[in-house]
Amino acid sequence: MTNTPKNSSTPNSSPTMTSTPNSSSTNWDAMKHQFMQIWQVLAALVLIYMVFFILSPPFRNIDTLLSIFGQASILAILACGTTVVLISGGLDLSVGSIFAVVGVVVGIALAEYELPVYAAVLIGLAVGTLLGAFNGIVQVVTGVPAFIVTLGGLTAYKGFAEILASGRDLSRFPDSFKVLGSGYLMPMIIMFGAALIIGLFLTKTRLGNHTFAIGGNEEVARLSGVKIAKSRIYYYMIGGLMAATAAILEVSKLNFAMPARGQSYELFAIAAVVIGGTSLFGGRGGVGKTIIGMLIMQTINVGLAYMGVGTSVQRIAIGAIIILAVYWDVSRRRSR
Amino acid sequence: MEKNEIKHLQKAKNILEARGISKHYGGIKALDDVDLVLRDGEVLAVVGDNGAGKSTLVKAITGAISRTSGTILFDGEEVRIDSPTDAKAVGIETVYQDLALVNEISITKNIFLGREIVKDNILGRVFGVLDFKKMDTETRDLFKKLDIRIADIYRDAQAFSGGQRQAVALSKTVLFGKRIAILDEPTAALGVRESKMAMDLVASLKDHGLSVIMITHNMQHVMNYCDRVMVLRLGRLVAVRDVKDVDGDTLVGLITGANKSKVA
Repeated sequence: MTNTPKNSSTPNSSPTMTSTPNSSSTNWDAMKHQFMQIWQVLAALVLIYMVFFILSPPFRNIDTLLSIFGQASILAILACGTTVVLISGGLDLSVGSIFAVVGVVVGIALAEYELPVYAAVLIGLAVGTLLGAFNGIVQVVTGVPAFIVTLGGLTAYKGFAEILASGRDLSRFPDSFKVLGSGYLMPMIIMFGAALIIGLFLTKTRLGNHTFAIGGNEEVARLSGVKIAKSRIYYYMIGGLMAATAAILEVSKLNFAMPARGQSYELFAIAAVVIGGTSLFGGRGGVGKTIIGMLIMQTINVGLAYMGVGTSVQRIAIGAIIILAVYWDVSRRRSR
Repeated sequence: MEKNEIKHLQKAKNILEARGISKHYGGIKALDDVDLVLRDGEVLAVVGDNGAGKSTLVKAITGAISRTSGTILFDGEEVRIDSPTDAKAVGIETVYQDLALVNEISITKNIFLGREIVKDNILGRVFGVLDFKKMDTETRDLFKKLDIRIADIYRDAQAFSGGQRQAVALSKTVLFGKRIAILDEPTAALGVRESKMAMDLVASLKDHGLSVIMITHNMQHVMNYCDRVMVLRLGRLVAVRDVKDVDGDTLVGLITGANKSKVA
């Protein structure tokens, strides 16, 4: 049996019947529907911010707001890549370790080989993209599920980063490099830039549109002539590229590189994507939601910290919110 | 039978011939040496009990599954069809049962899935930026031509009824299936009224220059909408008949194997 949609506006209407005769108004409906989805998450963000605003006097500060954005931005860039992978029905647990490898590679390029900044950045981006491609290629060639392949990547890339970094002092980078990640403004600009580019990619391009089709129903997409394997590899490359971008910003911000960085970032990224409202089951979502999802997470972290709540409790709060977000996604799917 | 077959072959042009199609899964013969001939402009019904090999036959012809053996001739010439894309390239469009539309994307995007129109400029050629305006216009024109009144083409496919979804899926065959439409149980999930609508749409495919292969369980549809019928049983072809020469009871007999003496 095919799905019998339970949409109340079109109950069992025949092929030659229409729910709304006016086409221009329906375009608005579709757009309104889109906005409604993002508004819900945005409203949640504002609400959470307001709660802390009321509860905690030191929270009522523009610097606090900026630091939320600052903390969110680097992880949000990484999460933009994760968004693409999750919409396509994939999963990437290795981006935190790709982050570590790229950080170390860029550190070596700058501190040891004293390469120009642009060269180090390009090498870093290339390494991240290649590791992402490797994730995708292994999956489509072997047929091993994404969870396992990228779980392998999670530990293997981490080991790789440790080997590269051992016995090296990766710090004290040129000033022109430090500009990238220091302060709030630059990371924020790069975050919005990355979100804009990925957003345009997802909504305007053929490969981007195929993420939704593949994540929605891979078999239909395949039978329709969509090149699944090739597309998937590209999506993991974007995941790797975004992890690399985030890593470069963090190395610049901290002014040192070490393989322990990036730990659990893949989970923060997935959490932000899911809290934002992108479906964990593929086929739906967007980067705007992910940015808001990351801001929600950081607002809770910062807000709880201001209220004197320890990081352990913060973790519990975030965990509960992740489960709530997925519950919302699941119950929405069930109601269809 | 041989003589009859030859006479038929000479009478109308064969647009598609599949010869000796077999599909084995290990020791199981899901399809065993089945021949299929589709004439230009006809609606050919494929009937058979569950597990007779109808869907397997269609998938083997369109390259959705690999064949164990068999050749395919299109317009009398042998063609290589190893994937759904190959089938589309020669002009065969297939509506698979339950696998016609992606729920999560809009009607327009479903219509053009895998064959999107990119902008006719550098953005389109280099980055694959899509021309939604053109695709929307073509979708509207297509629906108008086929009298499908779906206005909200921006909406996700899942918002539509089974009949509307089937209409959208069938319309793809007109837009892209330049020659042949293959339909796997186009009314399987539909109510009576929606079935009638869908079958009228199937009948109109002829007017748009398509020859049709249709898998069905509905003998009424065979009698009312089809020109010829082929019967499969347990992976084998047991009969090919002109619809005007058979009645529903005979067909059911052929499908179940009750009247073996009449098998051609």
